[in-house]
Amino acid sequence: MPDQPHVRLIEVTKRLGTHLAVDGVSLDVAEGTFMTLLGPSGCGKTTLLRMLAGFEAPDEGRILLDGADIAAMPAHRRPVNMMFQSYALFPHLDVAGNIAFGLKQEGLPKADIAERVADIMTLLQLDGLGERRPDRLSGGQRQRVALARSLVKRPRVLLLDEPLAALDRKLREETQFELMDLQARLGLTFVIVTHDQEEAMKVADRIGVMNQGRLVQVAPPEDIYERPVSRWVADFIGDVNLIEGRMIVAGAAAAIETAGGIRFRVGAADQGKAGETVWIALRPEKIAIAVVAGDQPAGAYCGEVVEIGYRGGTSLYKVRLDNGLVMKAAAANTRRSPAQPIGWNDRVALSWAPDAGVVLTQ
Amino acid sequence: MAVWTRTRGRMMADPGLVVAFAAVGALLVLFVLYPAVRVLIYPRLADYLAIPDNPRWLQAARNSLLMMVLSTLTATAVGFLYAFAISRRDMPLRRLFQTLSVLPLFAPPFMVAFSYILMFGRQGLITKALFGLDVNIFGWQGLWLVQTVAFFPFAALVIGAVLEQISPTVEYAALNLGATEGGVIRTVLFPLARPGVAAAALVVAISVLADFGNAVVIAGGFPLLATEAWFRIEGLADLKGAAVAVALLIVPTMILFLLERYWVGQRTYTVLTGKGTRIEQPPTPPLIRWLLFGGCVVVSAFVVIVYVGVLTGSVATVWGYKWTPTLAHWRLGLAQGGPQLITSLKIGALSALLTSAVAVLAAFITSRPTLPLRNAIDFLAVLPAALPGVFIGVGYLLAFNGPPIILSGTVWILILALSFWHIPLGYQAARAQLKQIDRSIEEAAQNLGATGMRVLWDVYLPLLGPAFMASFINAFIRAVTNLSIVVFLITPRTLVATYSILAMIGGGFWGAAAALTTALLAIPLLGVGAARLVLRVGLRPIGAT
Repeated sequence: MPDQPHVRLIEVTKRLGTHLAVDGVSLDVAEGTFMTLLGPSGCGKTTLLRMLAGFEAPDEGRILLDGADIAAMPAHRRPVNMMFQSYALFPHLDVAGNIAFGLKQEGLPKADIAERVADIMTLLQLDGLGERRPDRLSGGQRQRVALARSLVKRPRVLLLDEPLAALDRKLREETQFELMDLQARLGLTFVIVTHDQEEAMKVADRIGVMNQGRLVQVAPPEDIYERPVSRWVADFIGDVNLIEGRMIVAGAAAAIETAGGIRFRVGAADQGKAGETVWIALRPEKIAIAVVAGDQPAGAYCGEVVEIGYRGGTSLYKVRLDNGLVMKAAAANTRRSPAQPIGWNDRVALSWAPDAGVVLTQ
Repeated sequence: MAVWTRTRGRMMADPGLVVAFAAVGALLVLFVLYPAVRVLIYPRLADYLAIPDNPRWLQAARNSLLMMVLSTLTATAVGFLYAFAISRRDMPLRRLFQTLSVLPLFAPPFMVAFSYILMFGRQGLITKALFGLDVNIFGWQGLWLVQTVAFFPFAALVIGAVLEQISPTVEYAALNLGATEGGVIRTVLFPLARPGVAAAALVVAISVLADFGNAVVIAGGFPLLATEAWFRIEGLADLKGAAVAVALLIVPTMILFLLERYWVGQRTYTVLTGKGTRIEQPPTPPLIRWLLFGGCVVVSAFVVIVYVGVLTGSVATVWGYKWTPTLAHWRLGLAQGGPQLITSLKIGALSALLTSAVAVLAAFITSRPTLPLRNAIDFLAVLPAALPGVFIGVGYLLAFNGPPIILSGTVWILILALSFWHIPLGYQAARAQLKQIDRSIEEAAQNLGATGMRVLWDVYLPLLGPAFMASFINAFIRAVTNLSIVVFLITPRTLVATYSILAMIGGGFWGAAAALTTALLAIPLLGVGAARLVLRVGLRPIGAT
């Protein structure tokens, strides 16, 4: 059945005490997808993952795996393996013992276990570490052991709870690529939980953005970034300028007007009706910034630099426009010079393409 | 009701867990609850109502409460000062003091009394031979001294554990906010230790009330509830009287136990700190330090005297008259008590094994969050801590003397009674260790396909090794040195060493009694030493990943 989703959540709700941890979440995950659940801490993403693993039972709704309801299936029988944020390695077992643990529970013959453990250790570059105890491993090695342990059972779905959070930045970036590579090679369905937007952008085929127990948007990373459905999503992922106004013209050549009477033209607006309060979400890197001497160039807005955030590769400029709005614009630091091309209190012009911003109604 | 059905559904999915749950529950009901209930219902209502008319009961109850107040006050005070002293890193001879305070925990429960008779009695090495005094140590004053020395280590342990938890950073914070060094102790350390002191006092009070060994040796004609029960059976074969005595005894111990568990136990302060960097304590003011040091020396001397007394008692030819060394007492003691010593060790090993197995299994079961009735199991597993040994002894005597289960006269009644009496400590150690283990470890095991019992077997048992060992050592030592239970349950076929020693003391064979006591003391100490050695080599520290 090609169009049957591999994992399907239908209106899943979970209360922890009086707190609504997961609130009516419906989600389909196709086979072989790298699905990322992204959201701030406490948004319910880990609870959702734990319900897939069977550690929590939903209060309402259904969870289907290949069309079959797995709500009644105890955790230890689910063909779903999980990699824990803390790794949860067994401190009394060595690396090989940790990896073999799940296979032993299946009662496989010893020779088969040894072979599969050896294979997965080679795959994850753990050769030679079989007899080490977890407390004798580096952070990166522990992460690999935890991954190997959950992969060796050949799960239908692999769940990863903040799998890279404990690694330092450099190692984390390398490991992100390895995870993608691994997922592509094995063709498995990965469901990963993270609060790191960059990580989600980088690794995922699809991102499910969660906030306060609700799934607010599910889309590929570039859609999440370029076509957020709400101010909250736009603001949660990356930097954004939000300009509030009233929609004057809706549709293909839309325009809005702010409370101060400034008009902005927007390429095409999917959302919003004429007369409605809307917001333009405009990413700083889509705004060109240049120092100006004389008059305001056509189609640009002039102002004064009030703050500079130096970020190495780029700088973020906060500009107070003459019309009163404060906007952020990013520019690449293309030259290595002691003096910044744009300095504090410089007079600058900001400009952007008409379709750079997206109109949001909520 | 959705929660209930889901819980049931999960339990049914795990038959191993259900069986273990039922087995542990049945064992605890049969061997903890049933004997206790038998004691309480054995006397008729009229027997209870007649208590106020019997001056002997009233006297014994009054005396028991008096000793409880006196000995608890002194033992807790000494224990607090001692614990505070050894919690200071700059205390001279700190490690030595620490070791000395633990030693009495391994000693047979009558040993302090016996040794103090040898040292401070009418024929005392110190009182008579050294100072030429004629002192009668028998009676409540002697018992008070003996119980203070015997039970201050419990107080020191409990309070010490609380003091250990206090991070030195709070001392620095207090100093930084303008408190003087003495002020820090008065306004910060003492208040933080207060819940520990309360808990210690309650633990000591229960021990004092339940103390049989010291009382039977040194109290003389001073009637107490704990000893009264035995005199009733031993002298008068009055089972009903014994049941009334121990029933009276558990009224205060039960109250103290419930106070400890549900009131003081909830009130310990947790000193919140950031990352656990271990920094050094600020120095103790010299005057306070040397005062504490002096106190520790005095207290330690009393502890050392206990051991010196028994050791010299076992080799002096005729105590009080002829001090020349001899091995005659050792020969006599071992010839008469040797077989009983072997029996004691066998019973100790078997009961300690049973104690630890049930304790660990019960701890595992009550740590399952979804299991119904787990609070009932939890209560039964800690309840024996509230029951004096004499109560358990009388309980088993009454409960297993007739149908449905007849055990009296067998060695099993001893093993079972000792096993179930010693469960609380092992159980609590296992519970504490289970709390240390991150919950995700278990979820990882489940996620990899392990059922409930496989989780216990493959993950928790290896990780609970240290708790199991601690429980085993504790239960073994206590079983081997127990007197309060065995006096009720032994028969001529199942004699144990402690009973022989008691008989020897009673019969005036002090030398042989001292020799046998020394042997009884040496065995657990050697055992613990060996176990520590094995543990250090065989088990790695359990650290989180």
